[in-house]
Amino acid sequence: MSTSFKPRTVVQAIEDAAKSTQTGYRFIDEDSQAEPFFSHAGIERASARFGGALQSLGLKKGDRVALILPDNSDFVFAFLGALRAGIVPVPIYPPTGLGQLSGYLENTLHIVAKSGAKVLVTSPEIRRVLGTVQSRAPELTNVCDVDTLKAQREELKPEKITLDDTCFLQFTSGSTSRPKGVTLTHANLAANVHSIMDLGLKVQSFDKGVSWLPLYHDMGLIGFVLSPLYHVNSITFLPPLLFLKRPARWLEHMSREKGTISFGPNFAYALCVKRIKESEMQGLDLSSWRVAGCGAEPIRAENLQAFAQKFGAVGFNEKAFVSCYGMAESTLAVSFSAIGAGVQTDHVEGAALWSEGLAKPMSPSEGANAPTTGDAERVASVVSCGPAFPDHEIAVFAETDANSETPLPERSVGELRLRGPSVMVGYWNDAELTREAFAGGWLKTGDIGYLAGGNVHICGRSKEVIIVNGRNYYPQDMEWEASRVDGVRKGNVIAFGTMKPTHDRERVVLVLETSLPEGPKRDTLKGEVRRVVQQAMGLTVDDVVPVDAGVLPKTSSGKLQRAKTRELYEAGDLLSRGSIREVDTASVVKEVVKSQIGYFRHALLGGIGRKD
Amino acid sequence: MTWTAETVRKEVIQILTPHVQQDAPLSETSHLVADLGIDSLGVMEVIADLEDKFKLHIPDEALRDVNTVADVTSAITSRLQNEGRLAE
Repeated sequence: MSTSFKPRTVVQAIEDAAKSTQTGYRFIDEDSQAEPFFSHAGIERASARFGGALQSLGLKKGDRVALILPDNSDFVFAFLGALRAGIVPVPIYPPTGLGQLSGYLENTLHIVAKSGAKVLVTSPEIRRVLGTVQSRAPELTNVCDVDTLKAQREELKPEKITLDDTCFLQFTSGSTSRPKGVTLTHANLAANVHSIMDLGLKVQSFDKGVSWLPLYHDMGLIGFVLSPLYHVNSITFLPPLLFLKRPARWLEHMSREKGTISFGPNFAYALCVKRIKESEMQGLDLSSWRVAGCGAEPIRAENLQAFAQKFGAVGFNEKAFVSCYGMAESTLAVSFSAIGAGVQTDHVEGAALWSEGLAKPMSPSEGANAPTTGDAERVASVVSCGPAFPDHEIAVFAETDANSETPLPERSVGELRLRGPSVMVGYWNDAELTREAFAGGWLKTGDIGYLAGGNVHICGRSKEVIIVNGRNYYPQDMEWEASRVDGVRKGNVIAFGTMKPTHDRERVVLVLETSLPEGPKRDTLKGEVRRVVQQAMGLTVDDVVPVDAGVLPKTSSGKLQRAKTRELYEAGDLLSRGSIREVDTASVVKEVVKSQIGYFRHALLGGIGRKD
Repeated sequence: MTWTAETVRKEVIQILTPHVQQDAPLSETSHLVADLGIDSLGVMEVIADLEDKFKLHIPDEALRDVNTVADVTSAITSRLQNEGRLAE
């Protein structure tokens, strides 16, 4: 750690910030003109009241409290109040409607039960939706209305909180639709906040943030609720649904507050380009915006360029873009690209990248002319997310390197792994998942990428996660749900995400085999599959593609090939493809050649390894 | 402006149409997500357009009861009626 850095608990940060009555948090609410402002002194008082109220329910230091609070200010003060009492908050996302309730309730119940929360604090409206959750979570003794808590006037009984104490649990979605509870200590938070604010963004006291990000997600919660407490910055919070409904409101508040820092996933910038009308840009001034962070889902340079082009007219500087890599298991941030540099893209040979796992730079002349879209076979453009923070390490290993013994050289593609003070202790109450998450003391990210000049470049996700609007979905879950629909050939379903053809966001495609004839029966089946996946996962499938039996590509051992199916789909060859019995020999030859390349590469690199 | 059940219905269809996946048949009973393939971002855009067109506010909680095209129409007409802006 740099010499001037003294780690503090979040609780200490709240108390230290309370000296300021000028800076604080403003909460925008769509339904009212009032925009309540809490100075940092006010935040200290409001959180103390909530802390006292939670204690009055019998909660003690180390107990967990689940929070499902759609209102931003309720959430912030309940969360901070719990921290001040040493109670461990467990944020859970609120239901968003549109017929996804069964999957939602199941997830929520799992999180409540797994965390062992004794109390769940929520709104009266959601409490009705939750129904019988209490009877199904053995340790949950109380589902408490947030308004009841707010009416409490118990004094906060001070607790001694140390850096090694658990700060909160951050549940993330897992591969079997079972969320995992990332356990973060105050030391994790202090280290990551220092990395983000001092080292990464070089935040000053004059910096002001605007955020519409959901607060039950790490980027909103740690980035905009906790970090600014350490640095005593002012933040304006907008409800996430307001942003989705009217993206212009985000930029209006940036303009009005002369905001300097805001973050969003790739899709948020694309949404602004698509939805904000010329008339809504009148009077906007985005010239104060010095850090426009982009993270939480794959970054598409062309989306950010389009944003810069459109909003350059109202003062947005494209150098403000900061590409971010992060994950809940490393608190929030892993690396940022250099501030003030804009999006940095590495142009590499597509063929070498995808078939050999080598990121070979295009020659300067080729690189300069490299198209950012299309012609993906020839050139791959990979966004740089900057180097590891000081005191943290990022290295690339072969996925098979179970003990992280041999870091791969620069520009070799492998799994990114992390070490350092921001990395979680483990998953809550789950020794097995925790063991699986690490390899020889390194956190396995599950992300595939390479380092170039020490900078992180992410190529894809090893587990074929599909990220839609910042949320991770696993194809296996979707395939399983679709398989339950009558008319679908069980076990003959493939789901994947694709950025083609429009590149603005990941599209979810589900291909299934059926013996139903072409026509209305298949159309009904498509609707039914969409409905079932939506019900179970709250996810809209963009394209359901029924194909004849035997069309889906399989390995020689009969395993379905997801990547191959996606390739066929993207090339438009899926529907013209015959059944397995008439598969063309050219593609078989290509497959064999590819695997030969793989074989030689393996032999070659293996040989070098032995000589060393 | 005063609306009738019929003009509301027509306007709702018009606002939904650009969001509907190709070839999806649009009827009163069509499910916005399952039948019409409108995703959650599309739904929010539709809501914004409806609010602008009918000069209404549709609270987030109301979305939980909206599944079909008919649900959208009745969410609008009931609010217009409450405000005395729906003619018989």
